[in-house]
Amino acid sequence: MDEEQVGRDGFAFEGNWRDYAPIAFTNLLLTIVTLGVYRFWATTRTRRYLWANSRFIDDRLEWTGTGKELFVGFLMAVLLIGLPFLFIQFGAQALILRGQNGLAGILTILAFLVIFYMAGLARFRALRYRLSRTWWHGIRGGSDNPGFGYGLSYMWKSLVGSLALGLMIPWSMMSLWNERWNKMSFGPHMFEAAGDHGPTFKRFLLFYLFPFILVAIGAFAAIWIVPMMPRLEQGTPPPVSAILLIALVPITFYLALGLIALAFYAKFFRVAVDGLSLSGLNFHFYARTKEWINLFLGDFALVVCTLGIGAIFLQYRHWKFFITHMGVTGEIYTDELTQSQTRVARHGEGLLDALDVGAF
Amino acid sequence: MSDFRPWHYDGRSAVRRSVVLLDADDGGFRLEESESGWTGEPVAWTDLTVIATESDRVAYGHRAIPGWRMGFSGDAPPEIAAHLPKGERYGRWIDRFGFWRAAGVFTIVAALVVWGALEAPGLIAPLIPKAWENRMGDAMVGDFGGRFCHTPAGDAALRALVARIDPKGEAREVALANIPLVNAVTLPGGRIILFDGLVQQAGSPDEVAGVLGHELGHVRHRDTLTGLVRQLGLSAVLGGFGGNAGGYLNGVLSLSYGRDAESVADSVAIDQMRAAAISPAGTAAFFARMGGKGEADRTEQAMTWLSSHPLSADRRKRFEQAVDKGGRYRPALDGAQWQALRTACKSDPHVAKAWASPF
Repeated sequence: MDEEQVGRDGFAFEGNWRDYAPIAFTNLLLTIVTLGVYRFWATTRTRRYLWANSRFIDDRLEWTGTGKELFVGFLMAVLLIGLPFLFIQFGAQALILRGQNGLAGILTILAFLVIFYMAGLARFRALRYRLSRTWWHGIRGGSDNPGFGYGLSYMWKSLVGSLALGLMIPWSMMSLWNERWNKMSFGPHMFEAAGDHGPTFKRFLLFYLFPFILVAIGAFAAIWIVPMMPRLEQGTPPPVSAILLIALVPITFYLALGLIALAFYAKFFRVAVDGLSLSGLNFHFYARTKEWINLFLGDFALVVCTLGIGAIFLQYRHWKFFITHMGVTGEIYTDELTQSQTRVARHGEGLLDALDVGAF
Repeated sequence: MSDFRPWHYDGRSAVRRSVVLLDADDGGFRLEESESGWTGEPVAWTDLTVIATESDRVAYGHRAIPGWRMGFSGDAPPEIAAHLPKGERYGRWIDRFGFWRAAGVFTIVAALVVWGALEAPGLIAPLIPKAWENRMGDAMVGDFGGRFCHTPAGDAALRALVARIDPKGEAREVALANIPLVNAVTLPGGRIILFDGLVQQAGSPDEVAGVLGHELGHVRHRDTLTGLVRQLGLSAVLGGFGGNAGGYLNGVLSLSYGRDAESVADSVAIDQMRAAAISPAGTAAFFARMGGKGEADRTEQAMTWLSSHPLSADRRKRFEQAVDKGGRYRPALDGAQWQALRTACKSDPHVAKAWASPF
């Protein structure tokens, strides 16, 4: 009775955008009239709705974070990061004005390193915060690790990742993902993350193939298309088709680069989640590149067609995408899933907020 | 009450129970699962908190037991429903106020905050004691890295120029800095610093006198302080919530005081020049020259006097119109003095060298 066999459909999203719309619109209104202060409470209301409509196995998730703790987290980030940085900026300027360029440079590099470290720390803390506010069957997640070590790992692994023309990036991304999740727990169980960067590598190599494809296309154009174009008389403007063709080049360039990034990330996320397990449960992610493309095309259409207002539904869309493509297999013993004893921080993800790096 | 069977988690394990509510002795209730014989601790009604109030799923928590949950779908029997707490919707304050009333009040407060942020610096700055302002300026200027140019003749020439434009000594200090930027700044505490680049660029002492007069206007109205309060204050009130605190302070060099303050400072310059019988024509020419030099490379342009004192045709015209055709003007400095001022930085053996690449 306490054991639950779980098939592929361990996750399901049961909300709909009509129910969410009143939340989204009132959030927008209140955020505007409070000059943005309400956004912490808005985030909370949105998450409460999204979590409460996400079914995991046999029951819905619960979000118990509050707007107040997000607000406090934000104030702390302003105090701990904002003020010192105002000071450093002021100081660096004063130093430059006095000709102490070297000292100002050191100060600036130091500030950069601190920001770098904080970005890693913030990622870790945000995941920890979100897990500690996520409940299922009256049990929550969390971590007792403060993430200071992860901040250092983030620095050196990111640096190593950029070595060798970035060939180590898949390794650094996966290794950081594993390190992050291996320190998280739900109830009494630790998450185990054993994602392997190897399978993602082939997609990553597309980035390196890309310049060659570009050169090939360029050469093809130079040899075949250009001679076929009608010679322009001196002084006559080039035909519209030629202008369009030239304008298309950079657009295609970025589009192709974006597609490669998306193809890589789709694979990365599948492999990373597939490597994740909790006690007897194995997690899976089923979205392929095509679904990611559809997600972003949908986002784009939604925002453009509503002149931007549709942006208030992006969070909903992304969560729905995430949940509907999540899966879980294995078995869970609810009597062994006891309450988490991890410490709960009183404040929200202010650091992440301030540095504007996304979790998940 | 017996056919009302909520689900329950006790917060210790994830086991889901189907329970009934039994009256407890002290007015609260206890939960019991008859199939397994499980019984929970007594719970007071006032310990209940609201977890979810979705239409198809209502859930309550316990104030002191994390993870304790009791929930059901549909409606609770009236004798139970009467005890259940009400949930929050928009947040406690807004719920108490009502959505539209709260939105209205917030709009008014927001408008007041924005208006206050725009107006307050002008009101606050005069209240800041002069001593504080002086100390602030002293801290900013330090010794300017030993960059102030001093030669006996140059100092005398600068003193002579200041005596004509600022006979009452409103500026606490006017100094010449060995920095090759076409710029002049007013620091808090009535300190004016002319950059050597400006003096070199100027075609005549009258032009420097015009700039000095203008900066004197900023000193008189404490514009630098107002600008500082505005930049720091606004970023704290509005920009701070944008997520990137820290990117706001551009330094006193790029402070902009607003159109009105600039116009007032121009009036001060014109008045002082008239009183000192210095022709404003030179200053007008300076404006024309700087405005026409649009092709200068961008970093250079960004660091000139015009970046913080935006040029408009109106401003140039004002100086042109201020020229009295029949007036008897006297150059701001005589030839020897002008020469001494222009060579002050070059001939001061102790002054710190200008850096090769500015900023």
